[in-house]
This record gives sequence, structure tokens and C-alpha cells, in this order.
Amino acid sequence: MAVWTRTRGRMMADPGLVVAFAAVGALLVLFVLYPAVRVLIYPRLADYLAIPDNPRWLQAARNSLLMMVLSTLTATAVGFLYAFAISRRDMPLRRLFQTLSVLPLFAPPFMVAFSYILMFGRQGLITKALFGLDVNIFGWQGLWLVQTVAFFPFAALVIGAVLEQISPTVEYAALNLGATEGGVIRTVLFPLARPGVAAAALVVAISVLADFGNAVVIAGGFPLLATEAWFRIEGLADLKGAAVAVALLIVPTMILFLLERYWVGQRTYTVLTGKGTRIEQPPTPPLIRWLLFGGCVVVSAFVVIVYVGVLTGSVATVWGYKWTPTLAHWRLGLAQGGPQLITSLKIGALSALLTSAVAVLAAFITSRPTLPLRNAIDFLAVLPAALPGVFIGVGYLLAFNGPPIILSGTVWILILALSFWHIPLGYQAARAQLKQIDRSIEEAAQNLGATGMRVLWDVYLPLLGPAFMASFINAFIRAVTNLSIVVFLITPRTLVATYSILAMIGGGFWGAAAALTTALLAIPLLGVGAARLVLRVGLRPIGAT
Amino acid sequence: MKTGGGCPAGTSSEREGDMMRKVWILGLALVLLVGLGSGVTAQQRKIVIYSALDSEVTTRVVNAFTQRTGIATEVLTLAAAGTLATRITVERARPQADIFMGGSIDFHAPLARDGLLLAYKSPAANDPAIGKEFVDPTGFWHGWYIGALSIYWNTERLTGRAPATWDDLLDPRFRGQFLMPSPVTTGGGFIFVATQIFRLGEDRAWQWLKQLAANAQQFTPTAPAGIALVSRGEAIVGMNWGHDVQAMARNQGFPVGLVFPPDTATEIGGVSIIKGGPNPEGAKAFVDFLMTRVPQDINAQFGLRYAVRTDSPKPMGMPDRSTMKFVKYDRAWAIENQARIRQRWQTEIGR
Repeated sequence: MAVWTRTRGRMMADPGLVVAFAAVGALLVLFVLYPAVRVLIYPRLADYLAIPDNPRWLQAARNSLLMMVLSTLTATAVGFLYAFAISRRDMPLRRLFQTLSVLPLFAPPFMVAFSYILMFGRQGLITKALFGLDVNIFGWQGLWLVQTVAFFPFAALVIGAVLEQISPTVEYAALNLGATEGGVIRTVLFPLARPGVAAAALVVAISVLADFGNAVVIAGGFPLLATEAWFRIEGLADLKGAAVAVALLIVPTMILFLLERYWVGQRTYTVLTGKGTRIEQPPTPPLIRWLLFGGCVVVSAFVVIVYVGVLTGSVATVWGYKWTPTLAHWRLGLAQGGPQLITSLKIGALSALLTSAVAVLAAFITSRPTLPLRNAIDFLAVLPAALPGVFIGVGYLLAFNGPPIILSGTVWILILALSFWHIPLGYQAARAQLKQIDRSIEEAAQNLGATGMRVLWDVYLPLLGPAFMASFINAFIRAVTNLSIVVFLITPRTLVATYSILAMIGGGFWGAAAALTTALLAIPLLGVGAARLVLRVGLRPIGAT
Repeated sequence: MKTGGGCPAGTSSEREGDMMRKVWILGLALVLLVGLGSGVTAQQRKIVIYSALDSEVTTRVVNAFTQRTGIATEVLTLAAAGTLATRITVERARPQADIFMGGSIDFHAPLARDGLLLAYKSPAANDPAIGKEFVDPTGFWHGWYIGALSIYWNTERLTGRAPATWDDLLDPRFRGQFLMPSPVTTGGGFIFVATQIFRLGEDRAWQWLKQLAANAQQFTPTAPAGIALVSRGEAIVGMNWGHDVQAMARNQGFPVGLVFPPDTATEIGGVSIIKGGPNPEGAKAFVDFLMTRVPQDINAQFGLRYAVRTDSPKPMGMPDRSTMKFVKYDRAWAIENQARIRQRWQTEIGR
């Protein structure tokens, strides 16, 4: 009671914070919870009770859990080592690795998987042409490889944001106290990175569970819950079955979420100064440095291969058979998808901005220890990662194609759906970063009379810059390459580029699809590059800034 | 600025002008809002079409329709019939489209059952060139093209004689090298299983399917996925819709051979009118139009799908329809037993 009244008292004293809290809460309830609930209550109870009669679903549930464990372990481990490597200032080719680690985020999932079939499949350039092997990449092994490569950047992004905040002074302090160089890494840096690792593992695990794009291309006859939901819809127009499959997916996600909150939330973490001091890092021990370097080379090679596949596909006359270079695919792709390209970029930018703003604000709110209901907001901000895009698309149509809020037929339904679906990564990055910022800075500001919102604006926002950028770029790329939501929410008046890509794939024009995808991703990439070159404002590569 | 008569002269005309400006702005905003919200109804003559065919055929058919009738169209082309059917289902509260064109009638019939379609019997379908099995007796859907199941193979990886009959698929040299769409998640896969049941009788059919499963590398969860894989040599032989194989593999330059084996089966490609759509009269005109030769010829020429009309030419590079031998396919029985057969597949074949 006493705590509650005190909490209320403090909240009342800070109307700005209350308004922000209410706004974020309302937005998440309306645009995450409400559509999700609408889909989940679409099937009847009997449909849910029939789950045990469907052996395919039980198998899919087992497979999904297996992949979650395998891919999360590898993607988080690779992501951690990679992020750690590029956080070392004395790492050779550091900038290059940094840029490469972000590249998988620029590839629509089906492209990663498709590239790997070309490279590592029965007719693979590497497996067959180079090593003469007869490899069947379809199934869980292939999926494991692809998911590791596709999701390690998520982990690297989240962990990198945390590692970057660790001041070199801590390392010096440990060294001065007699720790060995390896000991510093083990006893100081690893524990400090732990909230980042936990947050990253959560994001990766949830993404693996909900992963559709990779699985649909490479899993073959290996049923998984996320793809099962899609097959129910596309193969059988069975929305009830799809909703049941997704409901099965939400259970493990919920458990993961509670686990992460329990594991990380129960520990107090070392408090550091807000922004790193300008001291140089102590040198990394050579053995560790070169081991990390070797690891980065191997991982980067796997990343580069994805792009070699996509680029080759866009210029090879017949993929796999007639390698004569041609620009015909590019001409066709740009002629058919040109105008949609522009629409995509606009929608992507708008939705990414909204994603990042809500993600950072939500992270700030849930980091306030005094606010009631913050766990609910916390959950809602992570939940979208557990929902396959198909589910979001259907949910938005069910929720917003009638009173009280009618959005269908407008471009806003698409923008909002894309925005709220991509919140989790930015939110996790911001949360992880907030945990590393010294409370005393905030206390100083409060002592000087700053309100909660003022603290956010003047103290945290500048420090959250990297998380905001990471969130923006990720959300933007996911939005312009999205297919699963788009197919439900576009209208003939608002066509986007991925719609054309789907049409090309449907017609068998893989080359043109690869060309249009490349153009779709190259334009924002070149834009960012050009802006950086012109402004030279120190906007560092996104990865681990 | 003078305001209209009737009003008593205001003491402060400036304030009144301010008021008027506000009213004007409010009114304008309202008109804009309403205008934006009712974009569909403003264009009475326009019809909205969801098409599950490829964009080339769709564009050509729709343009021919507008040329013929003067009715403008708005088209959403998604080569994903199940997704469009689902979309129509969830748009029930406020239907956004008039026409659902393309995709097997197995997608149209359930929509009719759920009360989402408008019944209409097109007079154009009475044409003697159109068999009456292609039109739903209750008028909820009209069939306007057909596709047939085929066997196809990668000519560079195949050694020896090409398969010509369903039974050839059991040949041990195809062990681990055969692909087909899953009967659990695709319509094509299901029609294939039902075909074997009609051909061999149920008990023998399951024995046969088990032998086939021993040869299978995978049962692809979507139908087109297998075509891309056989094209690129990931497997040697597959079963799929002939027109899709022709369009996605052979016409793209991949080394793929194709045959329609005896006792094959077909899907009927449909068109239906969505109940409560913005322009039902325009939609009826569109269904009438699809029953005529122009759109069916376009579909045969550019989509390689056989027309239901007997007077339309056959698709290029494909055998004449009269040379194909079809199994006695009982559609009603197949639909009735669909859930049971899918269940049995999962327990007996298990993948």
C-alpha cells in the first residue's frame, strides 16, 4: 500500500511521463494486442481441442522447439564472438567485418536460403563444382546453417550496443588490480555483456520460432509451426488452422519471455558511466585476437556467399545452367517494379521512424522501476516477434476492417502493421543499452529539477542514439522487404515492390526478382553511404556503434 | 469578406469572418476525409479484382474487358490463391473487392459454403462450347480454364528412359530423387492422391503411395517450390501442374521434360463474385466476359492453361486436350473425403 501510494505520488508529480506511459500503452494494446486477440479468438474451442488429433502439428511443434534451441545457441554464440571481435579497436579489418555483419539484415530471408541452395545444394557451386560432394541441404541441417547466418546479426547488434558502452577504464582497473588479459575478458567483459547476451538470445529465439522465410525455402518436408500456419492459409485457405498453429507458437514464446525476465531481471548489473571515456582500450591478447579474427573471416565468408548468390542470380541468363551475363532481368525488374520501388521506400521510411520512436519510448518507460504495469508493456513490446507476419496481416484485417477503427483500404493499415511488427529488435537494443547507463546521471538531472520526460530527452536520448539507428535501419529493411504482411494489406492503389517480386517469383522470373530485390536494398544502402560521405558527421556503421 | 444575406449585421465582422474561415476549413477537411474514405464508391463504374493468376495473363484479360465493356478495373494480382481466399474471408465485414479470379474451384467452393459469394448464372455459360460440369449448379462459381497433373524431369540429370506413366514413378532409379507437392498442404498434392484412389481403388492406392513415398526426396509444402528444385537439378523427377512446369521451367530455359500420363486429373480454374462488393453489376459483366473466347484464348496463349471452351486453341507446346486420358474423377466424393484422406496420409505415410 505504502509503495503504491508513493508510486502514485511520484507519477502524479510527473505528468509528462504519465502521458507518455498512457500513450505507449494504448498504442501497444491497440496495434499489437487487439489484432493478435482477434486472430486467436477466430477459431472455435473445438478447433483448439483437436490439436492432439493432428500428428503433423505435434511434429511441427517438436521441430520448432528443436530448431529454436539449435539456432539460438549458434546464432547467439556467433553473434557474441563477432560483436566482441569488432568491439576490439585493435582487430584487423574491423570496419570491414562491422559492415559485413549487417549485410544479412539487408537480405530478405528467402534470398539467404535460396542462395545457399545454389551454393551448397546437390548442384551447388561449392559442394558439387568445388568439392564434388552430393549434399542434400534440405531439412533441419540446412535450416540450422541458414538461420545461424540469418540471425547472428540480430545478436551481434544487440550485444554490440552493450559492449560499446563498456568503458575501457574498467578494463584498466581490472588490469591494475592484477587480472590477466584473458581474466579481464572472462571476469569483467563477459559478465557486463550478459544483459545484452540474454536480450539477444531472446530476440534470436523468438525470431527462430517465428522464422518463415528461411524455413519455407529450405526446410523441405520438415514441418515447423510458423510455416505450417502459412501452408494452412496458402494451401488450404484454412484460417482457423493457421490461428491454432500460431497459438501453439505463442506458448514457448511466453515461456522464453518469462525466462529471460527472470534470469536477467533478478540480477543487478554493474553501473557504468554514461558515455565511454576517450581512453584507448588496452590491447587484446594476440592469441585471442587472431582466433577471433579467424572466426570473423569464416562467418564473413558465409555472409558474402549470400550476396554472391543473389547478384549472380540477377545477371545470369538461366540460374544454374546458362551463366552468360545479361541485363535482361534488370530491365524487366525495373520496368515492372519501378514505381512500386518508390512507394516501398516511402512506406519503409515512415514505418521505421514510427517503429524506432515507439521502441525507444517503450524501453525508457519499462526501465523506470516505479511505474506500475511496466511488465505488461514490456511483454507487448516483445510479443510481435513471436507472431508470424501472416498472422499480423490477418489480425489487422480482422481488427481494422470495421468499426470502431476502419483503416483497411488505406496505406496506414500497412504502415502501422509494419511498424508495430518490427518493434522488438529496437526495443531490446534500447533496453540493453539503458541497463548500461549510470543511474547517477539521471539522479543528477533530477536533482537539478528535470522531469521524467526531460531526463529522457536530455540524458537518455543522446545515449540511445545507436539503438535508435539500429532499430531504424533494421525496421526499414524489414519493411521494404516484407512479403507476409504486405499480401494481406496492400490495395490496388498502394502497390509496393515486394508485391512485384512475388509476382515475378510466381511467374518463374527468379532473375528479375533477384534484380528488383537488389535494387530495393541497394538504393537505401547507397543513400546512407552518400549521406555519410557528404555530411561526415561521424554516423558510424550501424553494427556496433 | 461579406457573408450571405439573412444574417443580422454583426458588431464585429472581423470575428465573424474568422468564424467563417474556421467553418470553411472544417468543411473542407470533412469533404477531404469523406472523399478519401469513399474512394471506392466514388467510382461507380469501376470493379475491383483479386486475381490469383500471373500478372501477364491478368493484365491482358482485364485490358480486353475494359476495351469491350468500358468498365474500368482495379486489380490486385497475387499468384497465391489461398492467400486471396483468406483475405476475402477476413474482409467479410466490409468486402473490398468484386471479383475473385483464378485459382482452383477448391478455393471458390468453400467461400460459397461460408456465404461469402454472390450466386449468378451467366447466360454466356450456356454456350454449347462450354461443358456444364464447368459451372457450379448453384451459380457460385464459373470454371473458365483447366490445368492437368503432369510428370516432369530434369533432362540433364535423367539417365535412361523418361517416365511416361504414374507407375514409372515407382522405378528404384528415382530413389530419393522424386518430388511432389504435399497432399496435406496443397490442392495439387491432394488431387494426385485422390487420382490414385480413383485409378487403383482405395486399398491398392495406399500400398502404391507407400512405395512412392519410398522414392520421395520431399513433399514440398507449396506447389511451385518443387518445380524450381527439379529445374535446378536438386531432384530428378517430379509431379506438378503441367502449365506451371511449362511456364516456370521450360519457358525459362531450364532443361526440363514433361508428359501428361494416362489417368491424369485436372483442376478447374474458377471465377466468382464476392458478396457485398462495391459493384455487383460490373462483376456480373466480368463473369460473362470470362466465358467468351477472348480471355480464354489469352489464358491459353500466355498462361498455357487449357480453356474450358472447346473452340479455343490449345496452349503452345502442349499436347491437344483430346489426346489426354483422364481418370474418372469424382469431385464430390473427393471433397467429402478430403479430411479423412489427409488424416490417413499423415498416419500412414507420415510426412
